[in-house]
Amino acid sequence: MSAEIITSLLSFQPDAPELQQKREYDKEAREFIKLVNGLTPATFLKGADSPQDPLNVLDPATNSIAYAFTLRHRIEAANKKSADQLRPGASLWNKLVLFLESFDPVQMRYAGEQWRKLVEYVELVARNEGAPALAIAPIRSAMFRLDATTGTFTSTHLRFIQLCMETRSYKAALPVLDNYIHSLPTAIAKETLEDLEYSVVAADSVASGEFINLKSGHTAVISLTDLQEYYVLGAMAYLGERQFHDALHFLEHVLVTPANNALNGLMLEAYKKWVLISCLADKSHKTLPRTMSSTAVKNCRNAAKAYEALAEAFQQVDNLPKLKAQVNAGSDIWAEDGNTGLVEELLDHQNRAYLSRLSRTYSAIPVSNIARNVGSSADQVTAFVDSLIGQGLLNAHLETKDKSGAGAVLGFYLDPTQGPLAKTEKQQQQALLEQTQRTNALAEQVRDADYRLSITKEYVGYLKRQKKKNGAGGGGGAGVDAMDMGYEDGDLDEDIMGDVR
Amino acid sequence: MAKDAADTPFFQKRKSEGQIVVKDPPKFDLESYIANYDGFTRAERLRHIGSHSTYLAVDAYRTAIAEAKRGKNVKLYCDLVEELAQIAPEDSAALTDTTWATEKTKKVEAEKEKLEHELKSYKNNMIKESIRMGNEDMGHFYYATGDYSDAHKAYMRMREHCTSPKHLADMTLRLLLVSIAQKSWLTVQSHIAKVDSTQVKADEKAKLGPIISACAGLAHMGASNYREAATAFINTSPAFLTAEPIAGITWQREVLTGNDIAVYGGLCALASMDRSQLKDLVLDNNDFRNFLELEPHIRRAINLFCASKYSACLEVLENYRTDYLLDVYLSKVLSSVYGLIRRKSIVQYFIPFSCVTLDEMAAKFQTAGGDYATIEDELEAMINSGTLDARIDLVDRLLISPPTNPRYTVHADALAMAQAYDHTLRLRLTRLNMMAAGFEVRQEKGSSKDAVYKDTSYGESISASLRGIGSKMGFT
Repeated sequence: MSAEIITSLLSFQPDAPELQQKREYDKEAREFIKLVNGLTPATFLKGADSPQDPLNVLDPATNSIAYAFTLRHRIEAANKKSADQLRPGASLWNKLVLFLESFDPVQMRYAGEQWRKLVEYVELVARNEGAPALAIAPIRSAMFRLDATTGTFTSTHLRFIQLCMETRSYKAALPVLDNYIHSLPTAIAKETLEDLEYSVVAADSVASGEFINLKSGHTAVISLTDLQEYYVLGAMAYLGERQFHDALHFLEHVLVTPANNALNGLMLEAYKKWVLISCLADKSHKTLPRTMSSTAVKNCRNAAKAYEALAEAFQQVDNLPKLKAQVNAGSDIWAEDGNTGLVEELLDHQNRAYLSRLSRTYSAIPVSNIARNVGSSADQVTAFVDSLIGQGLLNAHLETKDKSGAGAVLGFYLDPTQGPLAKTEKQQQQALLEQTQRTNALAEQVRDADYRLSITKEYVGYLKRQKKKNGAGGGGGAGVDAMDMGYEDGDLDEDIMGDVR
Repeated sequence: MAKDAADTPFFQKRKSEGQIVVKDPPKFDLESYIANYDGFTRAERLRHIGSHSTYLAVDAYRTAIAEAKRGKNVKLYCDLVEELAQIAPEDSAALTDTTWATEKTKKVEAEKEKLEHELKSYKNNMIKESIRMGNEDMGHFYYATGDYSDAHKAYMRMREHCTSPKHLADMTLRLLLVSIAQKSWLTVQSHIAKVDSTQVKADEKAKLGPIISACAGLAHMGASNYREAATAFINTSPAFLTAEPIAGITWQREVLTGNDIAVYGGLCALASMDRSQLKDLVLDNNDFRNFLELEPHIRRAINLFCASKYSACLEVLENYRTDYLLDVYLSKVLSSVYGLIRRKSIVQYFIPFSCVTLDEMAAKFQTAGGDYATIEDELEAMINSGTLDARIDLVDRLLISPPTNPRYTVHADALAMAQAYDHTLRLRLTRLNMMAAGFEVRQEKGSSKDAVYKDTSYGESISASLRGIGSKMGFT
């Protein structure tokens, strides 16, 4: 009996020669899923713990679909009866982790439902064991295996970042956070995914935004607040790692939410943090992202006046007491919004901002002068400056010249190619090259987004109407072509830059 | 008596109000200076000098009072006498001539009634020209009594009754004069534009030209647009000096003299132009040369600046600071003009050097204005405001020109720009995706007031959870 099951489970062989055509592969895979779906849960439990255990016979990397189904049913069963097997370190747990780290990504495009359930089980089990951190690595590897760009937002993204925040594993979250969310799962018509040679789900060229869609089962239905929460939490994780620029950018993704003369709590929350972090990232709190709607800007500003005042005070680098007064005046507000820590960070940061502004005025200044200006002792300032230089935050050096009896002297490097923070031309070139690659990748993602938009119902409807109009006027269907022509080979970059402006 | 004028209640009060009070004797002679002027500006200039210079106060007020007595402006007379009484109570002119005042007031009232009556009858007769003239007379009358806003209104009423371009031009010039007297520079500018666009004959137009540019210069200077002011002044034709009265106004006596144009134009040019521009546009300008000859020291200052002798130039200007502070139009903008010239001199002086000692700078540019205690402070302020591209070495007391590395800067800029674009594009794509997915924050229907914060309850729960996270992260 169990041999039968195994035969049926093995009936789909992704490497079979007749499946080299992607369309064939697509058809087979879908049929196989139908077949496996039809089997009763009991069928999967047969042969467990025997040498003929399907989990032993099947290879997670080649028979991923079958393995995923089997694994899921086994876990469900174990969850009801013997939870011991699920314990981290026990056999089922090990198999689950192994599977998530080695499954075949193309097969898992078809078994989205199973993939999501398995990922959820990892989290569930780890939580039950009181060690949620254990789930982070398997989930992350599952996400990366399925979609190497992790750029299509799924409900797993949110659960993952929530998990990371709970366990304070900010570093573990960074690989996912660093990848830009270029697509949101949308409803894609079945026909576009199944019958076309180059856009079947199994195709090599297909973008993750296409195989992860609302019907594929990889994600639960997501809402706006889910996405916003992901960005806000992500920003917090960056904060935890003190990557202020990235945190700022993440919050901006929340701020640009299309808003029809209204705000939601997350946007406001994001704006408050954004104002504070813009100070920490040495940016102006006045230059909001241009994509943000003007009413949203106005509403945010009105609702977060205290934060604006704080940022104003921060800008006045020479006036430390004012910032302190502002901080004290609004202490209730900061505490209520959970921003006290950030606000205190501002106080520290102002000293740093003061020092980096000195570098624009002075080439060398005795530490005692600085101490007099900020009202603390020379030794304190020396230690502070030393720590800043050590952390690579100040392109300067401390000297102890005793000729004028002035004590230690802070010297700034005037030439950007000198000093500890200098970048060589090679490094610069490298950075430029990397940026070019990022931009090209982005161009690709824009193209995908464009494609996805072009197959939406609304656009097709629009085209039909357009065609009718043109047909009446004797023009004839220029709409489709115009859409495609914009993204032809050579002038791609120009086009994109043109859009940005 | 002149010496203790500074301690009189009047100057004490002005000082406490933050007004400029000049103690040093100016270089000019009051009588010959004021002899150049006529009309409203004469009394006004005298009053300005009287109220700013402790040295000339009494003389200026006496002349001003005598002047006011000749006119119809009773209020001006009373004010002047009152002010003089605070400075020199025992002076004979400090006693109000009440009989004159009451008599004059009556006369003025009578004249006003007469003019109003006349205007009414003109209006009844519906003769355009008479109505125009009636209004003009009213305007003249109000102007003479010092009621500038009513004068402005009366002149404005002439507009619909003007029948020829010449009338229109005359009216606008009158308006121009009144608004100059009011020192409302924006109105002056709009009137200048109107005069400029009137359709008069070519030879008439040529006569208007110098007046327009001189007044435009004055208006720009009053509005602190030194560059525009300089351009207007230096393009003033020397015909201004000899122009016949237009619209019944002798402009070179009632508004600006040629000397004024030379001084204003020269200072504004110094404040706003670089060396080659000064040479090409000012010194080599044949028209402006006529004016400059009237004020040789301005010419000298510009020459010195062009020859890179900045300290000498500043010294010349500094010598005349008192005089210019007593000029009715210059006194308000003088410190900013001088500041600009000084800062520009420092910048120009520093250009050829890679490094100058602070002591040398201090010797070259003595801290005179009193805005900054030491040259370091001044240089620091200049660097911070971005005027001067340099760094200060407080240890070796040097001013250092920072090395530039264009190649590095271009690379860094390119990278920063690319990143900024990249990020903007990402944000746009996010927004696009959100819209495509139908995500939008919408106002809830029915609760218009709280709509903006419709998610307050939700927001609170979120912020509570964030707070929890924050505390774990050590940020709370």
